[in-house]
Amino acid sequence: MASDATIAHAAPVIAPRATPPTTLQKMARRRSTIAFLLTLPLLAVIGGLVAWPAAYAIYLSTLNRRMTAFIGLENYAILLENDTFRMVIWQSCFFAITAVILKALIGFWLAHMLHHIPSKGQRVWRGMLLVPWVIPPALSTLGWWWMFEPSYSSINWLLAIFSVPPVPWLGEMWWARISVIIVNVWYGAPFFMIMYLAALKSVPDQLYEAADIDGATGWQRLRYVTLPMMRNIISITVLFSLIVTFANYDIVRVLTNGGPRDLTHVFASYAFQVGVLSGNIPRGAAVSLFMFPLLAVIAFFVLRGINERTKEIGA
Amino acid sequence: MSATAAPRAGHGLFHKAGSLRAERRWALWSAYVSLVIAAIVMLAPPFYMLITALKTSAEIADLNGNPWIVRDPTLENFAAILGNEMFRGFFWNSILVTLLVVVVTMLISIPAAFALSRMRFWGSQWLATGVFLTYLVPDTLLFIPLYQIVGGLGLLNSIWGLVLVYPTLTVPFCTWIMIGYFASIPKELDEAALIDGAGWLQMLWRIFIPVALPGIIAATIFAFTVSWAAFVYPTAFITRPDEMPLTIGVVSQLIRGDTFAWGQLMAGALLAALPPVVVYAFLMDYYVAGLTAGATKG
Amino acid sequence: MADTSLPRRGVLAAGAGLVAGLHAPAVFGQATTTLRCAFWDHWVPTGNGALRQLCGQWGERNRVNVQLDFINTTGNQLQLTAAAQAQSRSGHDIISLSPWDVGTYADQLEPVDDVMNRLIAKYGPANQVAEYLAKHRGGWRAIPATSGTQNKPALCRFDLLQEHAGLDVRAMWPAENRKGPGADDWTWETFLRAAEACHRANVPFGLPMGQFTDAVDWVGALFASYGARVTDERGNPTIRNNQQLRQVMDYAVRLARFLPNDVWAWDDASNNRALISGRSALVFNPPSAWAVAKRDAPQVAEKCWTIPMPSGPQGRFLAYLPWNSGIWSFGRNKTAAKNLLEFLTERDSAEATTNTSNGYDIPPFATMSDFKVWETEGPPVGTLYNYPLKPHHDARPSIAFAPAPAELASQMYIQALNTKVIARVAQGGETIEQALGWLEREINNMRRG
Repeated sequence: MASDATIAHAAPVIAPRATPPTTLQKMARRRSTIAFLLTLPLLAVIGGLVAWPAAYAIYLSTLNRRMTAFIGLENYAILLENDTFRMVIWQSCFFAITAVILKALIGFWLAHMLHHIPSKGQRVWRGMLLVPWVIPPALSTLGWWWMFEPSYSSINWLLAIFSVPPVPWLGEMWWARISVIIVNVWYGAPFFMIMYLAALKSVPDQLYEAADIDGATGWQRLRYVTLPMMRNIISITVLFSLIVTFANYDIVRVLTNGGPRDLTHVFASYAFQVGVLSGNIPRGAAVSLFMFPLLAVIAFFVLRGINERTKEIGA
Repeated sequence: MSATAAPRAGHGLFHKAGSLRAERRWALWSAYVSLVIAAIVMLAPPFYMLITALKTSAEIADLNGNPWIVRDPTLENFAAILGNEMFRGFFWNSILVTLLVVVVTMLISIPAAFALSRMRFWGSQWLATGVFLTYLVPDTLLFIPLYQIVGGLGLLNSIWGLVLVYPTLTVPFCTWIMIGYFASIPKELDEAALIDGAGWLQMLWRIFIPVALPGIIAATIFAFTVSWAAFVYPTAFITRPDEMPLTIGVVSQLIRGDTFAWGQLMAGALLAALPPVVVYAFLMDYYVAGLTAGATKG
Repeated sequence: MADTSLPRRGVLAAGAGLVAGLHAPAVFGQATTTLRCAFWDHWVPTGNGALRQLCGQWGERNRVNVQLDFINTTGNQLQLTAAAQAQSRSGHDIISLSPWDVGTYADQLEPVDDVMNRLIAKYGPANQVAEYLAKHRGGWRAIPATSGTQNKPALCRFDLLQEHAGLDVRAMWPAENRKGPGADDWTWETFLRAAEACHRANVPFGLPMGQFTDAVDWVGALFASYGARVTDERGNPTIRNNQQLRQVMDYAVRLARFLPNDVWAWDDASNNRALISGRSALVFNPPSAWAVAKRDAPQVAEKCWTIPMPSGPQGRFLAYLPWNSGIWSFGRNKTAAKNLLEFLTERDSAEATTNTSNGYDIPPFATMSDFKVWETEGPPVGTLYNYPLKPHHDARPSIAFAPAPAELASQMYIQALNTKVIARVAQGGETIEQALGWLEREINNMRRG
């Protein structure tokens, strides 16, 4: 019954094109036509709402400040000559790479620990540890901000118990950078944890049993059984997180607004400041386009690796 | 605790039973210690938000005493938020936008993922890669050109504009999850279905969707979280309070430049976080199970 | 405006009954037009009330349906709205513009010389800074707004300054139109000594040095009072061999030693919190900090007193942050928009606006610095007396980076070059010459492309 309904759904789309019902059915069965129709909405979203605006942004980045004249790659050249922007490149990479590594390690560790405890208790722990990922980051960052606030900092209050002097969380370069990373890791680590936990559970017990019989140590089990089995999911998660972290905007914006002295700006927040707030949209577009080639290269290699492995498994 | 005892008893049969048991006990302890520390760190900010939300403004401003406890708890912040008609409007807008986006996302992702994973056609490999690459174009870059598209359609200051653009945030990853999931379903199944004379669409409807249901739930949760938390697009497209979703509404109504109503702000943030928490509480098992099943069969 | 004499109460009462019927008779042949306005969402909780009431009143009278959206500056939402509307050439009819945005969008804003000339004829010249910001290519492109426009004088804890620095600020700047004893010595050097004393007493001055407007504004006034300009009127950097600039840098670096160590990241609310928490003896701020203290920490509010900023070698300057109301040239109801804005700027409307915001709002005309609200607000009564710029202050309003062209000044302002150049020395350990070299490169970079 259900299948008839599906056909009935598809028919009106194709009906106007073909006259005799037999041809219609043939066409409906033709793989490429159906495949095309099925992917059409996806193509529309990607083409109309991502690719086209992105191309438009590239066009914008070749204009002058008033958007009246074409100036080629001048905006990119200006940016590369600028001390502040070179620092932003450095800070973006530092922020994204450090945060992603920490998220991956903490996520892996927590997933491992969760995997070790009896499955009855796992649900509760998993639920608690996933809370940071559930709260909209713009709002939870406000909570962090309130905890870092110089006059009222509740973290400094805790530190004061151990006679640690108040930490200028957002006021000094390294503390501010660390604070931004802390919040990002806090927000993102649970995602890694849940992905790794899923992957860990998928490793067949027989492999571990076999390893045990071979007398493998804990480290060897991790190195030769767990990690190879999780390679795929690790690279996908890291890639995904790297992209999102590079493009992060809300945390930096709410927590430090790029300060002190622009030292915590990442591409997105700097693009926002230059492009929208300072009214130089073309240069802002150029700033955010800087992260594109970098990520595209990473994505290409990771995806190629995944595809190759998928083929191996498939064959 | 009985669950702990069982595996231990089982391993007692092993040759190096004593050291193994010690090793396992040690592993269990370190696991619990790590988890307790992690849980404290993960829950401290929301806990502090809750504490702040329960305080009066005067108590928040008072620097004497432990900020982590509330001496004079009050529900006035929550009452003020819930009694605010505008805030209830934000809630409704968020729910409406999120539900629509989730439905739209699924209607786009599932058929596309099916086609890309099962019906190899010209360019399908490229498209599958391209889907993921769309994440390389962040929303902070897209919002200006998108503003023109949305504006041209007359959808500014309307939740329909958000329903239009949010799929750029959700569709790629959901499609990606679903491609992986469908790919993990054994080929023998569709061969059998084809021999039975089923069409491609029947196959999707009768075999793939039911088998991949856990994966679909996982993708749904993802789409839900992302649309509930979206910030950049509503910031740019919505300026009328009556069309604002919750995240931006709470921030724009409760933050007043240089004087923050921290109690209400935190109460609003916590209430905004409630629906995702509830969804997780009920569907988390599906989520993990879905991912697990997908990964095993791959 | 023939029916200006119609009593407001009467209009409102009639409106309540007539509201449905009003549209039907269509006295002027057409159904009422709709005027869409985006105004700054006021920081003072009651602050939007005045505009709502005034616009409602004007709308009734002129049969215009005035639709108000109050847009917040948190996350720069208002600036984003303006940017997006300018680009898509659609949106509100009237929009509040942040100080430099008038210059940014000058080409897309309807000239309002007629309105401004009438207002100036009535109330005297407008504030120089307001004029510098709103007048472009010889014409007024926006009308300086009252709602949201603020001064940032010194908001002091008179008890702490008396105790630790020996300054009786209430005697120096009484709630009267005269200077008290010691007012003439209220210079940046006196200020520095007081800052040092309060720093030692653990109630340091809460002077933000980050990238938010409070920081940029007060540092801008400091620079102005030393005559230190980073560019000329045409935007050419005037940094080399500029002794005033070196002098003010030297001063700022000395002052920074006595500030809390995280002022480099303070936002517009941090200084308020420093004051309200009782940890700071002085901030530069509009009275919102005091107003919040009145609610949350009344014992602090009772000891607050507003006095002008200190003076420097080139005189006394007052940090001033104005909002402007612009009319998009692509809007449809430009005449109605002009009439509404003129009505909102008139003395009675301005006074109503200022009263509703507890004295926060500053009208753009010097002749309006005598509203009663500044004399009566308290406790302590008179705490706001010296908040508006009064003649006996001998001060001029200032905005950072004047007299640079708006396009450049806007970027320097948003990127807070003045606080950053100080931070590079005071926090980053560079020499003044290195920091000024960076400043010059940065400005040249902004001018290209």
